[in-house]
Amino acid sequence: MFLGVDIGSSSSKAVVLDEKQQIIATAVINTGTGTHGPEKAVMAALLQAKLGATEIKFTVATGYGRITYEKADKQVTEISCHGKGATFLAPQARTVIDIGGQDAKIIRIDDTGKIENFVMNDKCAAGTGRFLEVMARILDCKIGELSAFARNSTQEISISSICTVFAESEVISQLAAGAAKEDVAQGVHQSVAKRVAGLANRIGIRPDIVMTGGVALNDSMVATLSQELKQNIAVVPFPQLVGAVGAALYAAEFYRKQLVKTLL
Amino acid sequence: MKQLNNLITELETAAQYPSRTVQQAMEISKRPAVGCFPYYTPDEIIYAAGFLPVGLWGGQSDIMLADTYLQSFCCSMMRENVEQGMKGHYDFLSAVIIPTYCDTLKCICENWKAAVPQTILIPMVYPQNRSIQAGIDYLVAEYQRVQEELEGISGRKITEQKLTDSFLLYEEYRTLMREFTILAARYPITINAKTRQLLLKAAFFMDKKMYIQKIREICRNLENFPAESFDGKKVVVTGILAEPTGLLDILVENKIAIVADDLANSSWQFRTNSQKGNGVLEKMAYRIADQSGCSLLFEAQKTRGQLLVDLVKTTEADGVVVVMMKFCDPEEFDYPIYKKELEAANIPLLYLEIEQKMDSMEQLRTRVQSFAEMLDD
Repeated sequence: MFLGVDIGSSSSKAVVLDEKQQIIATAVINTGTGTHGPEKAVMAALLQAKLGATEIKFTVATGYGRITYEKADKQVTEISCHGKGATFLAPQARTVIDIGGQDAKIIRIDDTGKIENFVMNDKCAAGTGRFLEVMARILDCKIGELSAFARNSTQEISISSICTVFAESEVISQLAAGAAKEDVAQGVHQSVAKRVAGLANRIGIRPDIVMTGGVALNDSMVATLSQELKQNIAVVPFPQLVGAVGAALYAAEFYRKQLVKTLL
Repeated sequence: MKQLNNLITELETAAQYPSRTVQQAMEISKRPAVGCFPYYTPDEIIYAAGFLPVGLWGGQSDIMLADTYLQSFCCSMMRENVEQGMKGHYDFLSAVIIPTYCDTLKCICENWKAAVPQTILIPMVYPQNRSIQAGIDYLVAEYQRVQEELEGISGRKITEQKLTDSFLLYEEYRTLMREFTILAARYPITINAKTRQLLLKAAFFMDKKMYIQKIREICRNLENFPAESFDGKKVVVTGILAEPTGLLDILVENKIAIVADDLANSSWQFRTNSQKGNGVLEKMAYRIADQSGCSLLFEAQKTRGQLLVDLVKTTEADGVVVVMMKFCDPEEFDYPIYKKELEAANIPLLYLEIEQKMDSMEQLRTRVQSFAEMLDD
């Protein structure tokens, strides 16, 4: 049994994989690095798999908190893990768009399934899940409700500020001027989509495009980004878990390599 | 090995503590110092005039005063230089030479007069069309003007002999440094990414005579050992400079060695020797004319991409790391051109946007580690 732990900035995910590369347990805890989230996610996944910690042969940690997670045998970046996880779940993927809580990444995959290039957003929150979180707070709704709001938009509103802090003021001004929440919500989605599309165009995209990360659960975001890129975007099942799936696959790979080394 | 390690540590320390290094060099050489802004300055003339040329390539302090002249969307290296000048840290310099290669440097020339009036400014303009005869004539005239200004400050004429000696010293430095970088690539563990860059950086703060001697000793010592077998990845680095040093630490942590560079503060300084020209000043002008693949020097046929492809091939590097200085227009204009050429040659490329002072290195760490993993896969 192999364990992948993805410790993000806003959530912790764990996936247990068996010897036949079947996913036998998954867990998502909505607290990330610097909290007990990673331990809780691992415990929940082990409980679901009815396994004790000693039955795990190899653990790989990934995500923002990967370096400080002491229980991992090895750590691999979230870029590599999302690439591996996405091609495992969707082998036809040639571009992976991962929008997480704190950053956005575009990963280009070659025809053999290996990562050939990637690009990551700068350290600001623009174009990330955090941007959506901040805007949801101003619109007085839960992050999960933002998508439904945007779906009912009837009028286009542009949020031109890239910076989250400036965009916050811009959204407040729009609301004060009487703009509908739904239209502002859609403007917020468009702002993220434009930022991510700009990033994607820097390395070039090619189909099939697959979206991973927590933000892929927001169907308005997927639709708006698809429109911006003029390409279809597929969402893998449980997009939040893709990084952890990749980590678990790496765990299995590393374990086998280790085993071969000891046998030789 | 002990002698080699001592020499390496000595130069690494010299690069990490520039202020102390410059003070020591001034005392030993009995030369007052002249500050040299990036990217190319006529160091041969400065040295011949009896001064110690000191490279001013920014730093990592908190910007408090320079915001008045250069806001946060300007090159961090230039902001740092103005900050240091305004804080009076450059008051010991007899003058600064500021060449005007980019829009920021052009502005600084005027800003400096108001912001740092206590330090004499010698502005310098390099010709846009540097290869044609008019460009050569113009640059020679600029060199003559700089020479006269330095003579005015020192109160002494630069003799032909002194100028020739100084020119030959710098030619020796350039030849030696090219030899050193080729040799260092064979020892990616001893001369890891951080060590390599610090050894090259030390040149800006030491008397060239002393520096040449130390590098020669390092080369002699290295040659006593067999080439090191290295299970990491080898890269060519391109950009203005590979800083902050935290970035170099991350490269080392991820077993990435720099086997060649195309950096303004490294190989741009010694890539080209003088090939032709009558007299020292004309030879110096032709050296600038012959320099290619540099974002700051106009080039109708952009050769940087091919230069990088060739560097990767000759050093058998695994990829190229771009260290893009944030807000550096000339570098950003070059990037899409050479990126396309590197991709066409199937050379893996990592793009890192940097500022000289970066408080959080985590995103850089993720990018570098991902690149290493990508090359490993």
